[in-house]
This record gives sequence, structure tokens and C-alpha cells, in this order.
Amino acid sequence: MNLFDYHRPSTLSEACEALAAGGARLLAGGTDLIPQMREGRREAAHIVDLKRLAECTSIEVRADGGLTIGAAVASSIVARHPVIAEHYPALAVAALMIGSHQVQNRASLGGNICNAAPSADAVPPLIVLGAQVEIVSGEGRRVVPLETIFAGPGRTTLAAGELLATIILPAPQANTASHYIRFTPRREMDIAAAGVAARIIRDDAGVIINARIALASVAPTPIRAMAGEQVLSGQRLDDATIEAAAQAAMGEARPISDTRASAEYRRELVRVLTRRVLTHCRDALEAGR
Amino acid sequence: MSRIMLTCRINGETVSALVDPRDTLLELLRERLGLTGTKEGCGNGNCGSCTVLVDGAPVNACLMLAQEAPGCEITTIEGLSGAQGLTDLQQNLAEAGATQCGFCTPGIVISATALLAENPAPTDADIRRAIAGNLCRCTGYDKIVRAIALTATQRGG
Amino acid sequence: MALPTTKRDDHRDKPASSIGQSLVRVDARDRVTGRAMYPADMQRPNMAHARLKRSPHAHARIRAIDTSRAEALDGVFAVVTAADFAKVPLGASIPMGETGYDMWMVAQINMASGKVFWVGQPVAAVAARDSHVAEAALELIDVDYEVLTPVTDIAAAMRPDAPVLHEHVVTKGLAQAADGPSNVCSRTLIERGDAERALAQSHATASVSVLVDTAHQGYIEPQAMVAEVSADGFATVWASTQGQFSTELMISRMLDRPLSKLKVVPMEVGGAFGGKIAIHGEAVAVRLAEKCGRPVKLVFTREEVLQGGSGPTMGMAVDIRVGADASGRLSAIHGVYRVDAGGLPGLSPSLLMQASAALYQVDDLHLEGFDVVTNKPRTEAYRAPGGIQGAFAVEQAMDELCLRGGFDPLEFRRRNAAVTGSTMPIGTPFPSIGLSEILDAVAEHPCWTKALEPGVHPRGRGLALGYWRGTSMTSACHVIIGGDGRPVVTMGAVDISGTRTTMTQVAADQFGLAPQDVHVQTGDSKSVGYSDGAAGSRVARTMTAAIVEACDDALAQLGERAARLMQAEPARVTYANGVFSLDEGRGTSITLAELMQETLTDGAIVGRGSSSKLPLGVEIAAHVCDVEVDPDTGQVTILRYTAFQDVGRALNPSAIEGQLQGSVVQGIGWALTEGYDYDANGRLRNASLLDYRLPTALDVPSIDCVILEKPVPGVPYGLRGVGEAPIVPVAACVANAIARAVGVRTGRMPMTPERIVMAMRERAGRQI
Repeated sequence: MNLFDYHRPSTLSEACEALAAGGARLLAGGTDLIPQMREGRREAAHIVDLKRLAECTSIEVRADGGLTIGAAVASSIVARHPVIAEHYPALAVAALMIGSHQVQNRASLGGNICNAAPSADAVPPLIVLGAQVEIVSGEGRRVVPLETIFAGPGRTTLAAGELLATIILPAPQANTASHYIRFTPRREMDIAAAGVAARIIRDDAGVIINARIALASVAPTPIRAMAGEQVLSGQRLDDATIEAAAQAAMGEARPISDTRASAEYRRELVRVLTRRVLTHCRDALEAGR
Repeated sequence: MSRIMLTCRINGETVSALVDPRDTLLELLRERLGLTGTKEGCGNGNCGSCTVLVDGAPVNACLMLAQEAPGCEITTIEGLSGAQGLTDLQQNLAEAGATQCGFCTPGIVISATALLAENPAPTDADIRRAIAGNLCRCTGYDKIVRAIALTATQRGG
Repeated sequence: MALPTTKRDDHRDKPASSIGQSLVRVDARDRVTGRAMYPADMQRPNMAHARLKRSPHAHARIRAIDTSRAEALDGVFAVVTAADFAKVPLGASIPMGETGYDMWMVAQINMASGKVFWVGQPVAAVAARDSHVAEAALELIDVDYEVLTPVTDIAAAMRPDAPVLHEHVVTKGLAQAADGPSNVCSRTLIERGDAERALAQSHATASVSVLVDTAHQGYIEPQAMVAEVSADGFATVWASTQGQFSTELMISRMLDRPLSKLKVVPMEVGGAFGGKIAIHGEAVAVRLAEKCGRPVKLVFTREEVLQGGSGPTMGMAVDIRVGADASGRLSAIHGVYRVDAGGLPGLSPSLLMQASAALYQVDDLHLEGFDVVTNKPRTEAYRAPGGIQGAFAVEQAMDELCLRGGFDPLEFRRRNAAVTGSTMPIGTPFPSIGLSEILDAVAEHPCWTKALEPGVHPRGRGLALGYWRGTSMTSACHVIIGGDGRPVVTMGAVDISGTRTTMTQVAADQFGLAPQDVHVQTGDSKSVGYSDGAAGSRVARTMTAAIVEACDDALAQLGERAARLMQAEPARVTYANGVFSLDEGRGTSITLAELMQETLTDGAIVGRGSSSKLPLGVEIAAHVCDVEVDPDTGQVTILRYTAFQDVGRALNPSAIEGQLQGSVVQGIGWALTEGYDYDANGRLRNASLLDYRLPTALDVPSIDCVILEKPVPGVPYGLRGVGEAPIVPVAACVANAIARAVGVRTGRMPMTPERIVMAMRERAGRQI
């Protein structure tokens, strides 16, 4: 592990100044960064700890009814938050999958996003929920859709000196269900071989007016399964439509084979998990949840 | 190579130690403070042998920098029992035969202590979920789960 | 002059005896409070930290090593390479048990010399001020390799044109002598009758071929050791080891260090299961300590443990064919076993082949085994070495035969079960066994009689048997009597299965005292008589025999003193529960405490005991499990698991359950999620506990245990070995349950979800 300077800024502008020094990495939970640095896979001359920043460590309901989640909030807190559990269930479910209990007590959404692993569990749920991220730097702030953050495995589009400060979720709507299912050989402490998140919004007549599907671990970045969404749009969530959407989503997957799974198996999992996640959404909508 | 002086709260005491800036919390505990009850099984958060409580929450000490420790209340296995003897949980684990080689045991004790503080009436599934981040290779988990369940029952859960 | 044995009342079944009780482990409190000390917890004054430099290549010649840059780094105290160690020639061995232990192999595992055979094999080592400096120093050691083509699987290694790892290895046991070096180290044949003909004439046959991936013992404590050499040149090593004496012998041979100047102190062991018999770094640590004049601590990272730093257990390819007549009588077993030994020659597969077939009475048998080297870490034992893999093939073949022939799997086992006196595969008669009793117990148990309830996904129930022979080897102990009359036993065996506790129960029973009044400790290698390591399911049985002898010896000495004190003939003295008395308690009496108070300074009372080649207490297990298989993902949920085993006599039922439950969960891990994944260059892709998947508490159910007791004749307490058989049938049991749930056998181990889905797709004839 290389020697580094450790910074504990108490304001966002202090944090941005520390980042501007170059060769800096952000630290929230450290559950990715610390093992990567110890194994020599990442280096940093400066480590900037975000956990003293109020904006990064709180969850606030917004004026428009949406939610602002600090990038450094631990995922176990995200999972337990009543608003998230009630209105953004896909995220609550995923937050409990980011590693063991011990890891969940530290790992953050910001870290899960910026580590940019294609298998990041929080990302497909955030994408289908319409998340945006707030990027802060010495030059100011910008808010962009979460999907635009990913450049490739382990790489984001953030420029040097930029910091992901918060995640913004839109106000929840009626007749909405969301869920995330992933597949892992073990029931805990595992990386998704494939993961599928979906959010379905129906009108009062039961017709789908908005469908979003996002996939983990089957492309260089998390991706939307647009073809699957198109199958659903304007339809009812019946078995035939679900199966067709699952088939279409499978077609969007471009996985690789690695030690965790083969490409063939991952594609097959996309079909199975999409079917299951959509069925879950249907059941939730029927139950009026 | 310069060392840094850190002051932390460990097991209810304020302690200071000279650390290498790269030290993890685990290295601070084991190498600098001589608190060797917390073990290293993997060094990257995949076995739970290094589980400690940070502000009451179970955390892998190998995934935290020592420099993050100041300002936190940290509890290690050494801090759970003392002049007052073993906790009821520790007693039950010992009596149930829930420890064999003992290497995973401190981490399990910490995770289970946190579970029972948060959930006084856990189901077996809750218990297994709470210790799913603590790998044990010797016991098969059975007697560990029973001892934790017994502790909850005895406490009136 | 032999002392007369002191007569004792038969107190063995007195209510006060703790034999058969689940006495709480004497070391449990230290464990639950984090006070138990493992070598990595040791601190010695002025201690240096060591790291090993490891080969990045799976197969290479070492042309030169330049350590000068590393030696020049500030904070580096010493650097060593193979040049710093004694030349250990081919064929060198250290004494161990009945067969000795290959010392040339041990030397290669600890420091490559001239050639490397696997990624991770050590080529140099440094001792430095701290681990950061040591890490940096490793980068400064320049090794000039001539990289050679590796072979990474059995099939490739067995081809005639394969790159040869060892020029000196010529296949032993061939019908015609081999004409050149080979990667096939040996061929072993166990045969009787004519298996081919018997199979051809069978009413029903079944054939199962399996490929078992290499797996690791998975001990949670990585290798760790501290070595210190005094100014007078005496070396002490604090080790996590299954055998302090073997460790000492290995260190001594690697360093040419006399055993009178070396001591190994066994610390607590954080799991071993066979993987901590050979030394991994201990001799290197001593040499570094000699060179730098400081104590040296060497602790492996988990990545090192997995990436070639320790021996996983053997991968294997096994092909089994079995047959039966229409009534379900087994006609023949035909097996070919190809064992992947890793980078150095292993043992003949004879024991594992015998074990896989032993439980069946069959006239026609053909078992052929090959030990093959590949460019992967030299393999080591994992509980019953090879037993799991052999059972995975044979027990599935038997199950498949039952499906084909329409036989009930339990009745088939009963029909063909070996009994006491049956002819074992190598022709010797089976010693006393209780397989039929075990099968009877299964037949009556709800895990078998209660129908499997349907669930959301397909479910199935599996049965499999497991056998392991175990060993006896030699165990020694002595017992001293303290000034207050309390006995203290120092035993030669390291405690890896709770034997300090069970031997406390035995010694307490022998003396008729409460367990709290007896202390049992493990001696270091200079404090107690030579004992072979804790392995082969041998310690509880053989140390019991040694303790019985030592207690008899001590009581004879004590009895003689008591007689003198009571001014009586020794024949009139009897002993019971801490008291010597005359005339069976009707006369004068004196307690142990009073006796020692009076006579302590007359001379030490030391009772000696040792056991060697104790009659075997072979282990037999039968397991039943229910599984549910998600046919779309291949995920397997184990709904229920019951392990039956005959233990001879249960000294401590809780400890036995712990062994069974732990072994079963280990078996489930290898059955479903654990397996080494090598790339074509012999580098392990999954060298972390994230991707080498040990079961978590959420992955396994509660494990029910049914303990049977059919005592072994002629050994104290009738004890059998316990700790190896319970891992043997697990993967086969799960495989048989899966086969009955979804109708496929993957032919691979682990049976990962992906492999199950692929097998089901193949069976259904569909491509994905």
C-alpha cells in the first residue's frame, strides 16, 4: 500500500480543495477502496474522507417530495429508512445485498456507484427509480442522470476534482412497484452473477405507463434493458407480456465469461430474474402495495 | 517514514498509539495496542474474523483505516467481558460447544452481541443472517445458532 | 522391578464419571473472550516481520536470484534463498507413523530449489522491521526465470507429449516398466475376481464419471509462526501445527540443526483439517532469525494461503462402473481413479480406492489408480484425503444402479453391506464394524420414513455411505501428581478436536476424580514423549490408551507409597476415587492429597504411557439429505440433513456432534460452491474468500446427528475414530438428492448452480 495523506474535511468546499491536489480518492465506507489499495490495485496520494460532511451523510425529503441521499450514508441505514422501504423498495432490498452485515454498516451508495463495478447492486435499482446524482467541484454543481456516470468497468465519467455528493430520487408516484433480484451461488457475501431491477408504473386501469428495467453484471457497465421496457409499455402485466419482456431483456445482455459465471448462464439468468422481478412487481401492485 | 499519533476510544477508554498512516483499524488494535482478540482471517472483508463494534454497529476492522477511528466508540472482544465475568452470550456459546478452534469466535460474539441488542427475539433465520458475515469452518454453525437463540430466550425474548 | 498394579474398584461406570457427558470444553472460556493465543498473536522483543517471495510462474527453472537490492533496503534485516538451506536429497524422509514423510517434498514446499512447480512456490524470504518494508523488499529481489510450459489438468499431464515436471519420476507399478520420466508417478491396482466379466453378465449396470475440482481445507487462520534463536543458539518456534514433533523434525532436516537445539511450541490452531501437518515457512523463519539475530514472525495473507502458499486437497477424475443381479445383489465394482497431486508426487491412491469400495461385499473388484503431477500447489490432506472424491463417484454409481435396477437405495445397501469379517478390498477381513446397525437406524428414523413434502421447486432425498480407515500411529503422555494430589497429564498430541477436554474426562475417570481436579495440557516437543501428529482420527483413541497406561503406572507407584505409609502389604491396598485404603475400605485410608503431602519430596511420581499401533477403530457414516432445486437457476437448498455415525463409544457427545456438523458443512461447501478455478497459466483465479466460496450460516440448515455406539473390542473404552468419516459421504449424498429431484448428475464437483442448469439443459436437449 502506498503512503498517502488522509483528509477529513468538514465542508464540501474543503473536500473539493483536497481533491484538486490530484491523485486523490474519496473515502466513505472504504469497503472497496481499502482492500484495493492494500492489494495494490488502486493508488492514492490523498484520501479524502467524506463522513464529516453533512450533505453526504444525511437523508432528506425534498420540497418536491423526492429524496436526497448523502453519498456516504451506510447502506444498512439506507435499507432501514422508512421512506426508502415504503416508496423505493428496490433500493431497500439492494442495500441489504451489498456484502455482509459488517460491510453494509460501512458501504455507501456513493461508493457502490463510483467503484463502478458492473455488478454493483445498488445501481440498477437507482437507475430504474430515476435517480440523478449531484456532482460537486471547485467549479460548482451539476445534476445528471445516474446512468451517465459509468464509463466502463471500474471507471466513471467524473473528472478529476469532482465529487459525487448526493443521490436524488424523484417523488414517488401512485401505482408504482419496484424490486431488485440478483443471483449469487452463496446466500451472502457474494457478487451478483446477474442482477435485474425493475420499476413499473401503471394507470388506474392497470396499463403500464412507465416501465424501466436495469441489469447488473451483464455488460461493461450497468445497463438499461430498453427492449424489455418497450415490450411492457402500454401493456398489462400478464404472464405472456412478462415472458416476452424477459426474453427481450435477455437479448440486451452482453455478458462476459469469467470465474464467477459463463456468458451463457448470465444471459439465461437475465431471462429468469427479469421474469421473477416483474412477477414480484405485479404481485405488489395487485396487493395495492 | 513518519508515524502518526492517534487518540481513540477503545472499550470505553481513551487510548493513544503511534501508527503507520496506512494501518487499518485491525492493525491498530492488534499490532499497536496489543488487543489480539480480534483476528485476521482474510484481510479484505470476506470472513468476519475481524468484526468489532464501531458506534455499536458490527464492522470489519480490516476495512477501516486506523485514521478513521478517532471520534468513534470502538468495542472489541476484550471489552465485552471483564471483572464482571463472561456475558450470558459468551457463557452460552462456551457451554453449547459452539467454539472449536476458536478463531472465528470473537467475531461471532461481536456480531451476535449487536444482533441481540437490536433484536431481542430473533428467529433462527435472523440469527443466521446476522452471522452470515462470519465464516466458521469447524462447527457448521449449528451450536452457535442454538447458543444465540438460548441467550435471547433467557433474556425474555 | 515391575511394580504391582494397584487394585482399583471398578469405578468406570460410577455416576461421578464424566465419560459420556458433554463436558464443556476446558478451553472454551478463553475462546469466547478472545484470550486464546495463536502464533500471530505472539509478540517477542525486537521482533522482525517476514514475508516470502513467491513464483509468479507455474513451471520454470530458476537461473539466478539476486537479493542485493533487497538487502540494501533500509529496514531489511536478512534475506534467504535456497542457498541458505541444507540440500535435502530425493528420497529423504522423516519418521512419521508407519510410512514416514517425504522430506524432499517438504523442502520443495518451503523453498524451491532450481525449479518451480506451481504459482506461489516460495523462492526467497525476507525479514524486516515491519510488513511494509518486507513487502517493498520482495519487489527488490530479482529472480531470473526460464519459463516452461505448464500442465494444469490431469488429462493434459497424462498425455505422452506433456511437458514433464520431474525428470526423476518414472511411473511405478506398471505391468511393463516405463522407459522414461512421466507425470504419472504411480499406478496402483487392487483386484479380485473378474469385474469386467461380472459387469457384462449383470442384470443392471450403472456408470458414473466425475471430475472433482481441487478444494481447500478452508481453515480460517492463515499459516502463522514465530521463530526465535537464543544467544546460545537454541531455537524456539511457536507454531500453528498438527504435530510439534513432525514440525521439529522437518525444521531440523531443512536446516541441519540438531534436535537438541530446537523446540516447537504448539499454540492454538485456528483450523487445520490436514493442511497443517507439513511445515510452511517454519524452517525459513528460523533461518531468518539465525541470520538477523532477532525473533521473526511470519504470517501468511489469505491470498498467499490460496495462491500456492499451502496445499489444497486433490482434484480427481474418477470413473466407476457397478452392476447387480435382478435381486439387487451387487456383482462388481470397476473403478479408475486419477488423482491430481499438484506439483510434487503424492501418495498412492490405494487408501482412497479401498475406502470407496470397502462398505460393499462384492466378489469381483477392479480398482486402478494413478497419481499424477500438475503445475499446481502440492496437495495435502483434507480430513479423509481422497475419501470424499472416491465416495462422490462410487455412492452416485450405487444410487444410479438403484434407479436403473429399481432397488430401494437403503435396502440395496443393507443387502450388500460389509459386516465384521467381510473381505476388504485388499483381502484382509473387516475388523468389528456396525454398518448394519447404522442402516437399521436410518431405516427407523423420520428423516427416512417421513415422506418428503412437495415444495415450490423440485425436491429429492439422497442417501450415501462413507468409510474411512483412520490410523493409529503413536501417542505418548505422562502424568505427574501435584503436591496436593491432583494429577496433571502432559500429552504429546496437539488438540485440534477438543482432546484436552476429552482426555480430562478419561484421566478423571481413571483416577475417579472430578474433571475439575485433573488438568491436561499439550507438551511442546521437548516436554513430552514423541507423538505422531493430530491426524487420521487417531488422537482421542490412542491418547486414551496412553493415558490409561500412564494412570496405571502412576497409581502403581502411588499404591506402593501408600502401602509403605500405612505399613501394610501392597496387596491389601485398593484405590478408589482419590483414596487409598486397606481391606477394601474397611481399614485405614489415606487420600491422594495426604499421600502427596507426606511423600512429595521422596521423589517424583511420573506415570508413563504410550500407545503404538492400537487396533484400528474404523469409521462408518451414513447420511440422508433432502434438497430443493430451483430448476431455472440451479440453486440448491438443503432442507434437511441427518448424519449417522458409529463412534464406538461417545466420550463427549457434544464434541462428537460438533465434529459431525462441522464436517458436513465442509462437505456441503465442496459439494455446491467450493472449487479452485485455474487459468491456462496455472494461476488461481479465485484466490480470495469472496470467490472461493465457503458456506455461510445462511447456506446450510441445522445438521441432525445420530450417534451409534458399537465399541471396538480390545481398546480402552471401545473408541473409534470420529473426525474423518463425516465428511466422506456429504457431496455424494447431496448429489443423489439432486439426481432424485431433477434427474441429473452434473459429473462435476462442486455442483454449482451453473453446472446444474447446464446439465439439465443438456438432458433436455436444448441449447441456451
